[in-house]
Amino acid sequence: MGIVLAVLLIGGVAAAVVAGRDSEETGTATKTVRMVIGSEKAAFFADPDVVEALAAQGYTVEAETSGSWAMEGLDLYGYDLAFPSSRAPAAELAQKHGVRGILPRPFYSPLVVVSRRGAAEVLAANGLATPVGRTPGTLKMDAYLDAARRERTWQQLKGSERYGELTGTLFISSTDPQTSNSGALYLAAASYVANGGKVVASDAEVERTAPLMRTLVSVQGAQQSSTDAAFRDFVSGAGNPLVLVYESQVAALLDEQQNADDLVVLYPDTTVNSDHTVVPLTDDGRKLAELLGSDPTLRKLAVRHGFRPQGAITEFTAATVGRTAYLKQQLTGVRQAPVPTSAVLRELARRARG
Amino acid sequence: MRRPSPAAARRHLAVLLAAGALLTACTSGAEPREDTDPHTAEPGTLRVLASSELSDMTPVFERIEKDTGVTLRPTYIGTLDAVDILATGKADGRYDAVWLSSNDYLRLRPAAADKVVSETPVMSSPVAIGVKTATVERLGWKPEEVTWSAVEKAVRDGRLTYGMTDPARSNSGFSTLVAVASALSGAQSALTDADVAKAGPRMEEFFRGQRLTSGSSGWLASAFARRGDVDALLNYESVLEGFKNLTVIRPKDGVVTADYPLSSLAATGPATREDVRRVAEALRTDAVQRLITEHTHRRPVVASVPPAAGLDPSRRRELPFPGSRSVADGLLDAYENELRRPSRTVYVLDTSGSMEGERLSRLKQALTRLTSDFRDREEVTLMPFGSAVKSVRTHVVRPEDPETGLSAIRADTARLRAEGETAIYTSLRTAYDHLGGDRDTFTSIVLMTDGENTAGDDADGFASFHRGLTGERRDIPVFPILFGDSDRTELEHIAELTGGRLFDGRGSLDGAFEEIRGYQ
Repeated sequence: MGIVLAVLLIGGVAAAVVAGRDSEETGTATKTVRMVIGSEKAAFFADPDVVEALAAQGYTVEAETSGSWAMEGLDLYGYDLAFPSSRAPAAELAQKHGVRGILPRPFYSPLVVVSRRGAAEVLAANGLATPVGRTPGTLKMDAYLDAARRERTWQQLKGSERYGELTGTLFISSTDPQTSNSGALYLAAASYVANGGKVVASDAEVERTAPLMRTLVSVQGAQQSSTDAAFRDFVSGAGNPLVLVYESQVAALLDEQQNADDLVVLYPDTTVNSDHTVVPLTDDGRKLAELLGSDPTLRKLAVRHGFRPQGAITEFTAATVGRTAYLKQQLTGVRQAPVPTSAVLRELARRARG
Repeated sequence: MRRPSPAAARRHLAVLLAAGALLTACTSGAEPREDTDPHTAEPGTLRVLASSELSDMTPVFERIEKDTGVTLRPTYIGTLDAVDILATGKADGRYDAVWLSSNDYLRLRPAAADKVVSETPVMSSPVAIGVKTATVERLGWKPEEVTWSAVEKAVRDGRLTYGMTDPARSNSGFSTLVAVASALSGAQSALTDADVAKAGPRMEEFFRGQRLTSGSSGWLASAFARRGDVDALLNYESVLEGFKNLTVIRPKDGVVTADYPLSSLAATGPATREDVRRVAEALRTDAVQRLITEHTHRRPVVASVPPAAGLDPSRRRELPFPGSRSVADGLLDAYENELRRPSRTVYVLDTSGSMEGERLSRLKQALTRLTSDFRDREEVTLMPFGSAVKSVRTHVVRPEDPETGLSAIRADTARLRAEGETAIYTSLRTAYDHLGGDRDTFTSIVLMTDGENTAGDDADGFASFHRGLTGERRDIPVFPILFGDSDRTELEHIAELTGGRLFDGRGSLDGAFEEIRGYQ
């Protein structure tokens, strides 16, 4: 998937400075762990508090970023772990590198649709979403895909005339599925629903679902290549009224600023979690992965960056108090679509881009 | 497409332009080439290939240098040319980052997109129309209700004229073109070839109202102020907000928005990309976002900073940018060769004795190359001069047979001979006389000379002749090109007098001719 490798050194030097000690002087061995990570976690590992928390456990981290699907093409010799943003590329990496056992998934984040109050109300009034009030809404994927198939426009939805910006074909903006994880996962969720609640696997199923995938993508025209860019356009008031982003981006935004304006978060009733999955390549890599999932400070910091730590939900729940109008504390009622194999997903993405 | 896309036709020149030929935004200021090679890498400095539109960001660059210790060294260039440079690998090792108004077109070229590692949108600005307040009243417009169709109707009724930048050179022009095509075709989603074809007749009407074309927003602004008889400008909201007497309207039926992504490059090393990341991070801090919106009237991309006062927060539909290169290039091609008013140009070419040898062969080479860039319907007059005008040969690039006109231009070029004195002003008068008569074209004069005026009229004589011009002839700009031993002051004065702009052909004559295309 034509993704370019980013080799970005993050946090290594800062870690040594913040830790303020030298292994020989203190006698505490500081281990340097080298990893390749998805870019959406770069801010987390560059956060001075994260650097400090890792140093307190004796680790200095050198992180380089890469598109999750591009890690397969990398020579990972000398790395302790790879940390893509979803399970499918992790599974392929594990197989390629002969990694056995359970792959740690320290945190995850579901894909959500960000919108504005007006657009969300029109969707709800036309049976495409549940009403939004003191809790986030739910986007009905079946109804949405049906509208997409028929290329319904906003003008055809009742109530849209009150909002000048709601004209043109109704669609969700996603990133380019051939280069970006969230765009690919959008096709995973949509193809699952279009395939009658079954993961697309056979050639016949690809054949059957590909035309709709093509519609979902072609109406968008030029697509952003990163979820960050798509989200920033939305924040600046530009772009389509419905944008697919990671829940973690919304959570991080709410953490930075209190006034969320008329932001509305819609959870698709069938979505895909971005499961940040570690492929440990060395013992140190595995230990660090476990630390990310178990250390209370690191879990809390993951929440601060909007991620949901695996296991107990208490941290995320606590952090979302006061923001339940935007974020679901628990993902009950949100169905997780399994992700097709990467060969199938790539084929869907290729045909969607046309 | 009958002809190569404008971008493709200009590919061989793109790098010449990148070498620093960009001129300042004032009417007649040509900068001498820098002595230092702009491509030398320096630690702590990022060499940035940047859209010309970012030249208003200097105070922000200074702030970033203070905050991060990283110096930004921009090379300004048109967006499509920048994409060409990336796609052909010519940015490798020469630039550390790319910062365009938008990466939408870049993403349509896989060879260019593969060069980019990460992109960080920094600010945004939608395409808008700035209309003189008196015109808004005359038309009885309520700004919040105005649509592209209303603009089209005003043009059709002869009640509105405007200026815009050349879509093949400038992202603001390209975005405007996409917005107009989307709105007038009634396309409900991303433009297709069929939409472009369908909107053709209405777009032709729309572009009949275009009175000014420009390769840069800066010259467009000064030409607009000078002319006084043009009612509106199409450009980014951020540019239009800089005018005092314009009502800035974001059409109700949709806009195309630039999001200015700072992009790091695969061909650079980890330390460089780390610098780009730090700069991107610094650009998104509240303080810098505030500085950006206050200083440049662009909109912030962080929710904690409100847009500067005067920027209307109400929402607009975003018209999708084409998702395929064939649609984008097809639209550009239609604009250049079918939709816009054709250009009509007299090339006043110094072929005096001093041009003998290398200078004349450079001129011939540059003109011959330029023929690949002439548009359908364009009228080109070659007017070589020495002690007086030697010949007047006019050719038209006919859509049904462009090659006949183009090869005639090349044949005339090959016949140029160096001989005689240098009668600049007398020859310019001949050019103005030739261009008499009202025609529905973008009309201009290009003056290429390698020396001072030595025969015929003097500067005062020409000035008094120019004062006597009336009607549309008074609006014809002269674009002089510095070459050889030409007198910069003399040429600057001609540009200023006629509302033209000076170009520097001393480094690359091809590059100067090519850059002027944006103004024709």
